[in-house]
Amino acid sequence: MIDTSTGSTPQPAFDPAPRQPTAESLARWLVQHVAAYTRLSADAIDRTAPLTGYGLDSVAALSLCGDIEDEFDLAVEPTVAWDHPTVEALVAYLLDALGPRPETA
Amino acid sequence: MPYRLAEQLEWNLGDPDDPGTLFSHARSLALDEREEFPAALCAVLDQFGLYEFYIPTAHGGRLADYEQLVQLVRTVARRDLTVAIAHGKTYLGAVCVWVDGSAEQRRRLGAAIASRLPVCLALTESAHGSDLLAGDVVAEPAADEAAGHLVSGEKWLINNATRGSLLSVLCRTDPAGGPRGHSVLLVDKRDLPAGTYRHLDKVRTHGIRGADISGIAFDRAPVPAGAVVGEVGHGLETVLKSLQLTRTMCAALSLGAADHALALGLDFAAQRRLYGRSLIDLPQARRTLAESAADVLAGEALALVAARTVQTAPAELSVVAAVTKYLVPTRTEAVITALTGLLGARAFLKDVHAGGRFQKVDRDHRIVGLFDGNTLVNLNSLISQFSTLVRAHRRGTGDVAGAAAAFRLTAPLPPVALERLSLLARHGSGVPAALPGCLALLRDAAARNPAVEPALRAAERLPAVMDEVHAEMAGLLDARTEVPPAAFETARRFTLCFAAVACVGLWTHSHLDAEAGATGPLWRDALWLRAALARLLTALGLPDAADPEALDGVLDAARALHAERRLVSLLPLALRPATPVQDGPDRPGVRAHAHAAGGAS
Ligand SMILES: Cc1cc2nc3c(=O)[nH]c(=O)nc-3n(C[C@H](O)[C@H](O)[C@H](O)COP(=O)(O)OP(=O)(O)OC[C@H]3O[C@@H](n4cnc5c(N)ncnc54)[C@H](O)[C@@H]3O)c2cc1C
Repeated sequence: MIDTSTGSTPQPAFDPAPRQPTAESLARWLVQHVAAYTRLSADAIDRTAPLTGYGLDSVAALSLCGDIEDEFDLAVEPTVAWDHPTVEALVAYLLDALGPRPETA
Repeated sequence: MPYRLAEQLEWNLGDPDDPGTLFSHARSLALDEREEFPAALCAVLDQFGLYEFYIPTAHGGRLADYEQLVQLVRTVARRDLTVAIAHGKTYLGAVCVWVDGSAEQRRRLGAAIASRLPVCLALTESAHGSDLLAGDVVAEPAADEAAGHLVSGEKWLINNATRGSLLSVLCRTDPAGGPRGHSVLLVDKRDLPAGTYRHLDKVRTHGIRGADISGIAFDRAPVPAGAVVGEVGHGLETVLKSLQLTRTMCAALSLGAADHALALGLDFAAQRRLYGRSLIDLPQARRTLAESAADVLAGEALALVAARTVQTAPAELSVVAAVTKYLVPTRTEAVITALTGLLGARAFLKDVHAGGRFQKVDRDHRIVGLFDGNTLVNLNSLISQFSTLVRAHRRGTGDVAGAAAAFRLTAPLPPVALERLSLLARHGSGVPAALPGCLALLRDAAARNPAVEPALRAAERLPAVMDEVHAEMAGLLDARTEVPPAAFETARRFTLCFAAVACVGLWTHSHLDAEAGATGPLWRDALWLRAALARLLTALGLPDAADPEALDGVLDAARALHAERRLVSLLPLALRPATPVQDGPDRPGVRAHAHAAGGAS
């Protein structure tokens, strides 16, 4: 194992999702990601429109599962954005999957 | 060992230089000239039972080892790429069913292939090329839903569309389309009412000219409910997973073409006399041949690791297959181009040298970089995975044990588990993650044998290049809609790094066994590894990466193997049986007269 995190991998600065996400915080987090991937402004993302409508290639959409796993420590299928193709649908899915979680310190 | 059967196939096919052999070079050239489907040659392969290796053992066939399948397909491709593609399309056509089909579909398809029916894969449409989701072939539910679907529309540029009996067809099942809007249907032409389909004309091609490249047009063709492979709407998923398998297999086509081209180059350079000496003694000619040999061996190393990964780390095949399908055909094209320079006019003239075989190899091989996801499509697939690859690199994740099992050629492969294929290697690939461990092994080897030091010095440059390439990738994470040209260049550099690590992994995990074998001279002192790394690091643009001494050594070893009628390969593959077998009913080699009426494939 090698750690090469030393400064060579600039990450987009996202607000971390709050520990107990709400529909609104999840939606904002997702919109930020989609906007960054598609180089659009967050305002331009319609939460009820298919993500592929923004030119997000269906194969590229698979890697969203990694962002979700990182952020929420939740393993989801790579096809999560195919089965829940809008921000709104993804939020509903994530709320359900995350469930009410005990506060961890 | 998995390559033993390939050796038997080679012997069984007989001496290709003897025009009395059915599957001879002379016959391949004549068929190509006439643009005729190589039915009799496909029948020879059927007689060997090659089709059984397209069917997993669980469904009645003999496919249990993907490395073995690569070696078998490579053996056919070495002789005639047209035949390998014309016959191998059945594997291509069946794979969706092995990946996602029902037990009943698998049983029936296994039985159909066992009765030697050709199968094909119909994804492409004339207007849409690589853009699979734009497909217009629709499958609408029949009036009585239980009755299945009605298929309409045209698939075009399909290998064996006309001769095939069954087709895996990607159809739109949701009028809105999208990643869940398409399904794969296994269509059996024998069950379709007349008038509901017709074949489109054979398309004439510059290479693999005898192959049946045509199309099929459906007009409300009724397909039973049981024909949907996997779930309705899951066709893209099925196809992308299946393509991971077929793209890995495409390396076998390139390797076979490279083997053929290299053999022609070696022969020519030995025979041709200029300025009072053999061409092979001119330094520039030597260099070209040595580089070609080193590139072929590096491609072989990557292809071996990729084929074994199907079984050792199936969940990571999305990375390995894209790297392999990009790099092996591309580097093979470059080898053929370099050898074209070496052959000079002989590569251009039709009947003067080796019957014009070199030119046929060149024409035939062009297709390998085009079909089954072309070069750019495969790089694009890696670009889509940059974020997982960057994350994996940062954390050092990936299935290192799976990679090590792929590197160790003597390790038995775990059973095939296609249900573990994944659209995305979530935690990257174990091949790059294995680099630190492989370097430690290489250091040990160099401590025991100082002759390994040059290989170690070259390999020690890899961690820094890997960091650099991943840093480039990290800077391109927002490139998911408009992919800039720089992302393709970065993806290309990633594939070169990946191949270099695969070479280091293969040598460090397999050299002890291999050094004792017939290809020992290539393995001892890490000779082939030095040459392969020199080539890959040079392609990565690193200064002072050349290693002329290793290249010379590889060329000497390659020439010795070639002279002994062995394949120029990391593996000991004899092209002729050790003891000549007496002529008689049991002699190896299928003679022309025995199959003059060879059945259609
Ligand atoms: C001999 C032969 C046999 C074939 N057999 C079969 C078969 O059995 N079954 C089947 O379904 N299909 C088959 N095909 C079709 C083959 O897979 C297609 O040719 C392939 O899908 C690409 O389509 P295209 O050549 O029309 O190019 P297009 O997809 O139209 O590409 C045009 C250009 O765009 C580039 N491009 C495409 N996508 C991208 C991307 N994502 N990023 C960057 N650049 C891109 C390409 O590199 C190319 O330069 C066969 C083709 C041939 C020639």
